[in-house]
Amino acid sequence: MELVLANHSSYPRVGASREQQRLRRAYAQRERGEISPDDFSRVQDSVVAEVIQEQAHAGCELLTDGQIRWYDPVSHLAGKLNQVEINGLLRYFDTNFYFRQPVIKGRVAGNGPLVAEDFRYARAISPRPIKAVLTGPYTLAVSSIRQTPVYRQLSTLVLDLGEVLAQEVRALAGAGAEVIQVEEPAILKHPKDLRVLHKALKPLNQAKGSSRLALYTYFADATPLYESLQELPVDILGFDFTYAPKLPEKIAKLGSQKVLGLGLIDGRNTRMEAAPQVLPILEKILPRLSGGLVYLNPSCGLEYLPREKAGAKLRLLKELRDAFLQRGKR
Amino acid sequence: MSQAKLKKLGLTLPPLPTSTVGSFPKPDYLVEARARFARKEISQKELEALERKATEFWVAQQEAIGLDVLVDGEQYRGDMVAYFAEVMPGFQMGGLVRSYGNRYYRKPIITGKIQWPGPMTVKWWKFAQGLTSKPIKGMLTGPYTIMDWSFNDFYPDRKSACFALAQVIRKEVETLVEAGAKVIQIDEPALSVRPEELPFAIEAMRTVTDGMPAYFITHICYGAFEFIYPGMLRFPVDNFDLEMSNSGLDLIALFKKHPFNKDLSFGVLDVHSHVVETPELVRGRIEKALQVIPKEALWVDPDCGLKTRTVEEAQGKLRSMVAAVREVRQALDKAPKGKRRRIEVGSVVKKRRKKIRKHKYKKMRRRMRHKKK
Ligand SMILES: [Zn+2]
Repeated sequence: MELVLANHSSYPRVGASREQQRLRRAYAQRERGEISPDDFSRVQDSVVAEVIQEQAHAGCELLTDGQIRWYDPVSHLAGKLNQVEINGLLRYFDTNFYFRQPVIKGRVAGNGPLVAEDFRYARAISPRPIKAVLTGPYTLAVSSIRQTPVYRQLSTLVLDLGEVLAQEVRALAGAGAEVIQVEEPAILKHPKDLRVLHKALKPLNQAKGSSRLALYTYFADATPLYESLQELPVDILGFDFTYAPKLPEKIAKLGSQKVLGLGLIDGRNTRMEAAPQVLPILEKILPRLSGGLVYLNPSCGLEYLPREKAGAKLRLLKELRDAFLQRGKR
Repeated sequence: MSQAKLKKLGLTLPPLPTSTVGSFPKPDYLVEARARFARKEISQKELEALERKATEFWVAQQEAIGLDVLVDGEQYRGDMVAYFAEVMPGFQMGGLVRSYGNRYYRKPIITGKIQWPGPMTVKWWKFAQGLTSKPIKGMLTGPYTIMDWSFNDFYPDRKSACFALAQVIRKEVETLVEAGAKVIQIDEPALSVRPEELPFAIEAMRTVTDGMPAYFITHICYGAFEFIYPGMLRFPVDNFDLEMSNSGLDLIALFKKHPFNKDLSFGVLDVHSHVVETPELVRGRIEKALQVIPKEALWVDPDCGLKTRTVEEAQGKLRSMVAAVREVRQALDKAPKGKRRRIEVGSVVKKRRKKIRKHKYKKMRRRMRHKKK
């Protein structure tokens, strides 16, 4: 079984040093009209490069661009679509992070690439493979205000967003993404809507080409939905174990038809997990998995942590894997 | 409801007592002084002199405007969690974390056993109380919110961190009571975020308030109340202070279904808007509250702290609020005894209310649909 160390999605865009806060200053300058769009994107590019280096140095093997250019997980994508306006702030699940709520005014449609260009840039400068990340159709839909008769039904919007995101998946596959991660934290709170999600993911799955499609959930307990999630048309399932104390047992019992992304390391808290806490879970789960591959990743995006703690969590992943691989040899 | 308790504490308040949620805007000279202090250009002593000056200003303002239960205005505080975390042993200040857009804050980290460092708020409470004969509220942040807004490197889980904080906040309550505080507000804006944790949040608050001779208020910003209602009524405080002016309508629908059985501080001023509400608008909001809350149980205040408004906006809003409350008090006085709970303030209002109700129903349906998605 190959254990691959992967980042989850986001990465802190500012750090403790003045240099590491240049993007924050550039944003403020942009608000005051004191920086040209080109200079601003050069700062963004340099921070993307910096966080890619940091992930690689930490020993991470499947990196992300840190979602450095994203305003938030919802409006960054929805805001680029036709018929969508961006509204006020709303809390992102149970975090202290706030996203801007999209308002859907009519039938949504793509309007050029969402993240494929960013992916190309990250891939070109990265020493290791880059994972592409998208917020999924269901989470985007429930995070939005529907102000059009076209979407009296939530499901209609979910399916339309599925079509829009499928175009993006095609573009990302064309750009060489090995793994395309679709995030659906919201589905855990609305299990009834799994069938809609299933339908909405089909076009993404058809568009993926030779890429592998991953579905990641977090911020709630996925244990009750484990069997149904296994049915979804994706290749990889990612789980947040910090909310799911019974999930290891369930996986040990049922195994998995899909490659798993194990979020055993808490991406929301600064405490560094100890080996005795994590290794027994790996021992329990790994023998039940097939496919020869498993991802070790944080439980969620790392942007909820200060920069130095985010780096430490990635280094911890490596330490834990080393300890796991060494355990029989002593 | 808790009027008996207030009486026992020796507090006589008029009907519909008016108060504020805690923070007031800092005058420009203080904002500048805080920046200079951060750059180490002025001393702690110089900063504190200006904080006192600003506190004196706000206490005098509250008296002049005619509020009934006053606050010190928190001129000396920044963040409501960091203020406590910075002085409590067991905490370290963490690095920057993004809250939205280009906004970042320093999130505290619990790195050891949390201890009470001695009185954290009593000095300012005494100073403010010394300036007025009206009651000044003691102002604390609750254990659940301090826990939720901090990282935890030390305690095995969220619950035990919360309980450790409850012990410390309890000590602060004891010293406030000893100093003479009769009304103490303990803010728990994080309360509605994880409904499944409500039981231990309640237990923690019991540790804080149990057996203490004070009237306790807790402020919760608007969140997903429908998920913790009516369970939150078990929270061991006398008065819930809720944000109502923006989204009050569906809460009232909620209260109709399951009666609210505590005192309610009803937020009637939108603190996120520059617009100063007219007394008529505020009065309409109070009348709506009186449809579901007995007048004996109703307090009136802004939705949240006013610190994000300008000094003039804050003053204007509070003046409108006090004017509206005075009108409603008069109307209540004139109302026939048996009909006091449902006050009628002229036929115009009655007609308007009918219209509002229809509109309210539609809006509520829309919101519920939205929530259920
Ligand atoms: Zn508030």
